[in-house]
Amino acid sequence: MRIIHPRPNPIVAAMYTLSDLNVDVIVVHGPAGCCFMASRMLEEAGVRVVTSGMKEDDLIFGGTAPLVETLKLVEERFHPRTVAVVGTCSSMIIGEDMGAAIRRAGIGCNAFPVDCHGCSGDNTVGAIKALEAACEAGILPADERDRQIRLMTAATDMEKRIGMAGKQYLSPTRGPTKLSAAKRMLDVLRSGGKVACVMLAKKELAFRFADMFLALKQARDALGGEVYTIANLDPGLGLPRIRGYASAILKELEEKGASPDEIVGGLDEYALVGERMKEKADAYAPDLLVLIGIPHAYPELPSDGILITDQPRQLANYLSMGLEAVGEVSSHSMVMGARSIIPLETGDTIRELLG
Amino acid sequence: MRRIAIYGKGGIGKSTTSSNVTAALSEMGLKVMQIGCDPKSDSTRLLLNGREPQTVLDAIRDGGTPSLEDIVAEGYLGSLCVECGGPSPGTGCAGRGIIAAFEILERLGAVDRYSPDVIIYDVLGDVVCGGFAMPIRNGYAEDVFVVTSGERMSLYAAGNIAAAVGNLTGCGYARFGGLIQNSRDVKDEDSKVREVAEELGSEVVSVIPRSVTVQSCEDRGVTVIQGEPRSEQADVYRALARELLKRSGDAEGGLRRR
Ligand SMILES: Nc1ncnc2c1ncn2[C@@H]1O[C@H](COP(=O)(O)OP(=O)(O)OP(=O)(O)O)[C@@H](O)[C@H]1O
Ligand SMILES: [Mg+2]
Repeated sequence: MRIIHPRPNPIVAAMYTLSDLNVDVIVVHGPAGCCFMASRMLEEAGVRVVTSGMKEDDLIFGGTAPLVETLKLVEERFHPRTVAVVGTCSSMIIGEDMGAAIRRAGIGCNAFPVDCHGCSGDNTVGAIKALEAACEAGILPADERDRQIRLMTAATDMEKRIGMAGKQYLSPTRGPTKLSAAKRMLDVLRSGGKVACVMLAKKELAFRFADMFLALKQARDALGGEVYTIANLDPGLGLPRIRGYASAILKELEEKGASPDEIVGGLDEYALVGERMKEKADAYAPDLLVLIGIPHAYPELPSDGILITDQPRQLANYLSMGLEAVGEVSSHSMVMGARSIIPLETGDTIRELLG
Repeated sequence: MRRIAIYGKGGIGKSTTSSNVTAALSEMGLKVMQIGCDPKSDSTRLLLNGREPQTVLDAIRDGGTPSLEDIVAEGYLGSLCVECGGPSPGTGCAGRGIIAAFEILERLGAVDRYSPDVIIYDVLGDVVCGGFAMPIRNGYAEDVFVVTSGERMSLYAAGNIAAAVGNLTGCGYARFGGLIQNSRDVKDEDSKVREVAEELGSEVVSVIPRSVTVQSCEDRGVTVIQGEPRSEQADVYRALARELLKRSGDAEGGLRRR
């Protein structure tokens, strides 16, 4: 199928993966504006991203010179321990030898190229290229690389099966307000019923979705009923930065008395944990099931549950299936660089209703 | 203005033939601009008698803002010599270079300024990417001729180029004008080339014999027209020049036809 809505690309996926690996500086070898939005978000999150700023001249005569200059500047200015040079469409079409440029720059730190471009295929292809390059550069053990590649492959399969990657075109939607969803949760609790909240969060987005646990705890404290929570927040799994996110979120939840009842898998395992989470949720037999994060990673979307996603196109997808869903749109830009849990609109709506 | 592109396998004699045609047309009093589309930048060498003009791409490199005088050199009998230039082998993208060079020539108004009667594009042998198809796209060249010998690879390349032109003809671009046989003294050469021309639904425009005069003139850095004007070989090139005039379209416009 020809899919025509805009979607994530391999270059950006490589950049995010490098950021998860705590690489100090990412150099995008291409035109100044290439991956500008993603670069800016990463920069705001404290990851250094710079561009070699290729121009027409460099397309024609080769872009080694600007890359070498950029690498030297990076070393001078940031004194990094690790630098990754990420390819783009323009540099890779003209066959740039980024490894040779790195050697030519003669910088003292661990610098390595990631040979990817926008036409490499699924966005996860870029992530996998980054993992392989990082492993070769000695900053990622081979078993973790293989684990990550398995997770990426599972995530891609999932998106193709049930996510956005399986639809020809989805227009983004902001969806309904959060009022009806919030009221339903509160009604169940007020009548002494059971609400299960399952979080299948993708990496840093957990900083926002975890707010659902806080809001539901407040609601239960105020109204009664029961709340049961499951989250993919295992702090011992994943790339360094991702483990850090899980620890920080768990710590804050614990402080606020809202630790998840069950932890199933790590923040990078959202595509794999659905089955195990469903077993636990089914055993609990809730009156209302709330899925947050990547709801379609759950094996069966509940016809009478509530789905909460950050993806405007995914939201359109759920609504078109006749499910009750709300969108926490723009969450991604909010969580970049976050160190603590950021309130959800759904969470704030619950709080407001509680008065 | 006529817009003619000369294609053909590497080393087959495109630049030699183009330069002799340019010289012959200039003798006839026509204003000819020969544009070399090859990073080697040796297309117009025989017209410039050893002078090496600055290439278009060298002139714009590092933010250069050349004027036409910097990149259009005057050669034999007032012929206008342009070399697109390009990257050193193994770096950058020569095809992109051709596209950029054409943009510059257009922006600087090369055609308005010199009002040539004929433009001849001498293009690197194999149409390896979109850049090298540029001369036959977007209304630059109107008539494409392919230089070939009777050798198999050369005829094969001719077929490929004809196919590329065929693809573009549908878009209203160039048309295939025929084969120019540059003989290599292969067995049954004339009939081999003729057969391929027929297969392509085309014709052999002219048969150029292999001649030592060509090489002796090349050694002196001149075309046969300039170096041995009374030779038989010179008359062959003159005949080819007339033939190309006869077989090419004459259309208004700038670097591209209107
Ligand atoms: N008719 C001919 N008789 C003898 N020698 C010839 C003839 N035509 C061309 N040559 C010689 O063949 C050689 C290659 O010619 P030329 O440089 O014109 O080829 P080309 O097709 O432009 O090559 P390239 O693809 O490398 O640009 C030159 O040394 C030239 O003198
Ligand atoms: Mg040549």
